[in-house]
Amino acid sequence: MAEQTAGTPSPTTLRRAHFFMRLSRAWDSRFESMARAGNIGRWYSAVGNEATTVGAALSLLPNDALSTVHRDLGAILTHYLDPTRLAPALFEPQDRTAWDALRPDPGALLHRLASQVLGRRDGFTRGVDRSFHYGLIDRATGLRHVGMISHLGAMIPVAAGLALANLQDGNQNVVVGFIGEGATSQGDFHEALNMAGVMKLPLILVVENNRYAFSTPLHEQFACEKLSDRAPGYGIAGETFDGTDFEAVHGAFERALARARTGEGATLLEAMLPRMRGHAEGDGSYELIAADERARWLTHDPLPRFEAWLTRIGAADAARIAAVQETATAIIEAAVARGLATPEPELHEAWRNPFAPGPVADAFARQHAEVTRG
Amino acid sequence: MAETTYLDAIRRALFEEMERDANVFVMGQDVAQFGGAFRVTKGLYERFGRLRVVNTPLCESGALGAALGAALVGKRPIVEMQFADFVSCGFNQIVNNIARTYYRWEQPVPFVLRLPFGGGAGAGPFHSQSPEAWFAHVPGLAVVAPSTPADALGMMKSAIRDDNPVVYLEHRFLYRREKESLGEGEQLTPLGKARVAREGRSITILSWSWTLHESLAAAEEVAREGISVEVIDLRTLVPLDEETVMASVKKCSKVLIVHEATATAGYGAELAARIADQAFEWLDGPVKRVTYADRSSPYNKHMEKALLPGREAIVAALRKLARY
Ligand SMILES: Cc1ncc(C[n+]2csc(CCOP(=O)(O)OP(=O)(O)O)c2C)c(N)n1
Ligand SMILES: [Mg+2]
Repeated sequence: MAEQTAGTPSPTTLRRAHFFMRLSRAWDSRFESMARAGNIGRWYSAVGNEATTVGAALSLLPNDALSTVHRDLGAILTHYLDPTRLAPALFEPQDRTAWDALRPDPGALLHRLASQVLGRRDGFTRGVDRSFHYGLIDRATGLRHVGMISHLGAMIPVAAGLALANLQDGNQNVVVGFIGEGATSQGDFHEALNMAGVMKLPLILVVENNRYAFSTPLHEQFACEKLSDRAPGYGIAGETFDGTDFEAVHGAFERALARARTGEGATLLEAMLPRMRGHAEGDGSYELIAADERARWLTHDPLPRFEAWLTRIGAADAARIAAVQETATAIIEAAVARGLATPEPELHEAWRNPFAPGPVADAFARQHAEVTRG
Repeated sequence: MAETTYLDAIRRALFEEMERDANVFVMGQDVAQFGGAFRVTKGLYERFGRLRVVNTPLCESGALGAALGAALVGKRPIVEMQFADFVSCGFNQIVNNIARTYYRWEQPVPFVLRLPFGGGAGAGPFHSQSPEAWFAHVPGLAVVAPSTPADALGMMKSAIRDDNPVVYLEHRFLYRREKESLGEGEQLTPLGKARVAREGRSITILSWSWTLHESLAAAEEVAREGISVEVIDLRTLVPLDEETVMASVKKCSKVLIVHEATATAGYGAELAARIADQAFEWLDGPVKRVTYADRSSPYNKHMEKALLPGREAIVAALRKLARY
């Protein structure tokens, strides 16, 4: 691959991809070091997933929906942030898209995200739920993100429902959902993909196959050869690709998006990813993997691969690559520092009404709260 | 004026609300051309088409999760369980996903779960259950159970308009048996408000749905013996209208709770606890319950009837309470 071929992502796409992959990696590095120092409870690293998560989210248009689980930071950053305002020195005027003009102030949004993941007052849930357990839906800015609950698999039917709403509205919007390969064993995976097939939903489900679920290896998780082999069983398209190869990711999404936007229906994508970290930092699951296997996966890092390719095709030189890395690190350092300086959530938030405003919420508020305090 | 059945009242509510708001849609198994197992959605498909009267495959969890997804982006889904008993297959979506979304990240989930429930039809252990307590226990779900056609209409309309998940229990036995003439035009029953179904002085019955009717019949019977019974139709179980309940309890000073669900950890236990807490000084006797026996519902009709909390059991309990 010495030169750009037809179907190669545009220079703008490559600049964005590079920046967001590095931003995601910088975030992980920072949180991994906090986890090692015992400063945060748990951290599920997304190292190795970046080409897939960023590549997926880069393909989306305003009000396309993103349904994420626990290693999809790259997709969230890419969906939310206008990079031309966040890191102006790294981008050209033509890199600013019409959607960027709609997007909220990236600094403020990054602060909310950092506060959320750090469990601070300014987070999206203001202390009520952890890390990526929230959503952000705002038609005016085109952001349509639904995060996870702990129960893995439960969000796949929800993603199908987001897609159903697009069908009902007769628009061309699509939904990209993520799931780990372990959670494909859940019943909700089957129910949702079956519905997606029957209803021809504009849904792309991406399986992030990082070879393990906590400690469980692939051969104890499923007996088919490839997870995408299940797609024909649902009457949908399926593809397995190297999720560390940005070009492969981009190509797979272009095909899946074309299907989804033209009414051809859903696609099951299986991104093969390297196991570069354990399940959660410091939980002992990494050490269970044989040393030679660990060493082998570390050579499959999508980031050096992407940067080497950018260099080969002349899309970036060493100075630019260093600038992207330094800028990403500086942005994350500042965001985490600000997040850490943000106060804990306010206690009264715990008592907020569990019902949305209206007659039910009013009736709930009329009940005697003292019943739970003797 | 022609009388409307409880079932037709529900259908009228669906029809009117779907006419009023294009975001309202119905989803479930066999709900489209066929009109659902009980024909509640009959005729909706012809009027609103397949994108608003959505047949799903045979899946509860998938359909409920999809309803959540659609609700998050502005739709107002109404999901029909073919029988309330099958809701167990979609339990996680309701209790962990749908119920907890608003509290966690403040995105409203306008959603109605239709549960055709209840016994009396000799339908056995898996087509007879009364599952309200499963859902009453979960913060973030409203739970309602109308007993009359007027409330079936008015509460369905209010449930559809509310921005919260509402579990709507509709009793199969009442579908075609309960009839009344309903006026034209908009009829809304507020959620969170109980109804005094019969005024009385010496014993309060708290009930809802089918057992409300049994309670009224029992109250009528003991009235001839000089026992004056007030019957409260709770209508909304969560959030509870404590004001109406406690006012009646304080007036009558004796309480009988009647529900079709089994006793242990049933919703009646919650009522009894709240009464003990908030009206202890006013009580002149123990808070009693008449409920289903703590058993699965037997298939044989006579056996089922033996376990059901019918009017004879209620009359006996009222007489016992009257002696305090
Ligand atoms: C329904 C459910 N069961 C168990 C768990 C506990 N759990 C959390 S993460 C995890 C492994 C997930 O593996 P996979 O889906 O492959 O995602 P990965 O972490 O590898 O990205 C498990 C078992 C859970 N969160 N949800
Ligand atoms: Mg995995």
